[in-house]
Amino acid sequence: MADTVTDALRPFALDLTNIRKVFFARQQAVEAISNVSLRIQEGEVVAVLGPSGCGKSTLLRILAGLDTDFTGTLDWGHVDGSTDKERLRSATVFQSDSTFPWLDARKNVLMGLSGLTLDRKTAAARADTYLNLVGLGAFQKSYPHELSGGMRQRVAIARALATEPLLLLMDEPLAALDSQTRLVMQQELLRIWAKTRSTVVYITHDIGEALTLADRIVVMTARPGRIKAIETVPFGADRNVIALRGEPEFGRLEVALWQLLADEVGQTLQQQELAS
Amino acid sequence: MTEAVVADLGTLRDADRQRRRKTKQLQFVLGIGFPICLLVVWEILTRTGIADRRFFPAPTTIGTVMVQLLESPMERARIGADIVATFRRLIIGYGLGAFAGITLGLAMGLSAKIRYSVAPMITATFPTPKLALFPFLIVLFGLGDASKIAILVLGVFYMTCLSTLTGVTYSNPMYRDVAQAFRIPRMVYWTRVVIPAALPSIVTGLKLGVGQALILIVAVEMIASQEGIGHFIWNSWEIFDVPRMFMGLIIAILMGGGAMLFGEFLERKLTPWVVR
Ligand SMILES: Nc1ncnc2c1ncn2[C@@H]1O[C@H](COP(=O)(O)OP(=O)(O)OP(=O)(O)O)[C@@H](O)[C@H]1O
Ligand SMILES: [Mg+2]
Repeated sequence: MADTVTDALRPFALDLTNIRKVFFARQQAVEAISNVSLRIQEGEVVAVLGPSGCGKSTLLRILAGLDTDFTGTLDWGHVDGSTDKERLRSATVFQSDSTFPWLDARKNVLMGLSGLTLDRKTAAARADTYLNLVGLGAFQKSYPHELSGGMRQRVAIARALATEPLLLLMDEPLAALDSQTRLVMQQELLRIWAKTRSTVVYITHDIGEALTLADRIVVMTARPGRIKAIETVPFGADRNVIALRGEPEFGRLEVALWQLLADEVGQTLQQQELAS
Repeated sequence: MTEAVVADLGTLRDADRQRRRKTKQLQFVLGIGFPICLLVVWEILTRTGIADRRFFPAPTTIGTVMVQLLESPMERARIGADIVATFRRLIIGYGLGAFAGITLGLAMGLSAKIRYSVAPMITATFPTPKLALFPFLIVLFGLGDASKIAILVLGVFYMTCLSTLTGVTYSNPMYRDVAQAFRIPRMVYWTRVVIPAALPSIVTGLKLGVGQALILIVAVEMIASQEGIGHFIWNSWEIFDVPRMFMGLIIAILMGGGAMLFGEFLERKLTPWVVR
């Protein structure tokens, strides 16, 4: 977890300068994100909060290297130079279903490992470990169409975690889960990140989740998404998902973030009203 | 986090099996029973003289004639030879056409340059009635089997080529994103992502190709052949042996039905993940 004093000295995992993305759709230019600059330290967990349609997924695709059609600069720092053959440089959990329907849960996870040089045994062990971890140990042989939406999303999470990536990008990964399962998963994620020391960019619309998981929270404005505020979360390592919610500081930050977001959400709705 | 185990699994499974069996039984009974009802109606209509016997011989009359025909060893040998001739052309023509179509379809998916050069031509010439080309094919390949096989190759080629192309190019863009985000090696991407993703579409093309092939083979055998089921039907008509003509029709229907069953079998085997 981040330690503010030594932050400046630590190697960075991601450095974004003036990122701007414009979509050209049907003769209309839509500016999705604008002027986003951010430096993320190695091993840091950054949550991104923002109203729907503000460009969070767009930003994540850029970070994942899936969209190279943007202006500004993006530096992957030490992640880019990695020669580790047993960890992916980056892995992504997408917002919508991204499982392969012709592969069962286990093979979906193994497919994510096919870019690594792992012997069969290690790969199998990883698939096993991470499927168990997301609670799908009994569903290894199930095909996606035999699983619920939330279970499919957990397969996608297991697939990303199993690559033990240096940079983990997650786009509302727990949104499809019920709140109890979500809490359990949050605790598991904290445990794994502490172990693998991955750098994480975590998109969510759940303020409580952002506070629970992140070292820093980036709040974005309504479209075009800019960085409105960055909050440092004061809870250290070794967090307990349930106990955290009882802390007064948690409640205070929750209200503060809620107020930051409320303005933007109001704006988004106004924009839509004007458009229609 | 393990999913709750439901009590009394045995009873539930039995109930599930019974439900499935009942549906199967109903499907079978209606699937066979309804056509039989139609035959009975037909029988009644001809017996009562409402339908003209010369054109609509009663099913029982057709049955009697068929038995008589099949009792004569010479006729048996003739019909056998006709069936074999049609089958030989179908299998060779269909096999070559499907192979060429799928190969070129995949090649177009693999290389944009091949796609840009070939796709417009194939799409533009696809609706041309293949039969219109038959005289030209006779000029090229002569009056023997080759010209008939060639027209089958052509018909099946278009069906499979275009459906393969659709499968490869309009596959879910998410699959490509996942492959890129997880650095799935190119070979693995092609064999375990692109082809399975296109498979439902390819299988559809193969099934449509069966129908196309049957239409073409019967048509060309009627026009220019001394053997084959098409010739058998046309010849019966020419000598005004209506029951014999119906017998040819029944053989053609059985061939088509068999081919469709085989297509559905392939579909279930090759794409078990598709919910039907
Ligand atoms: N392929 C595209 N073509 C055109 N416009 C797009 C495209 N993708 C996204 N946009 C636009 O960019 C904006 C940001 O989209 P994005 O998916 O990044 O939002 P988001 O913040 O992830 O929203 P949500 O929380 O609802 O997932 C939207 O207004 C959308 O209309
Ligand atoms: Mg999104």
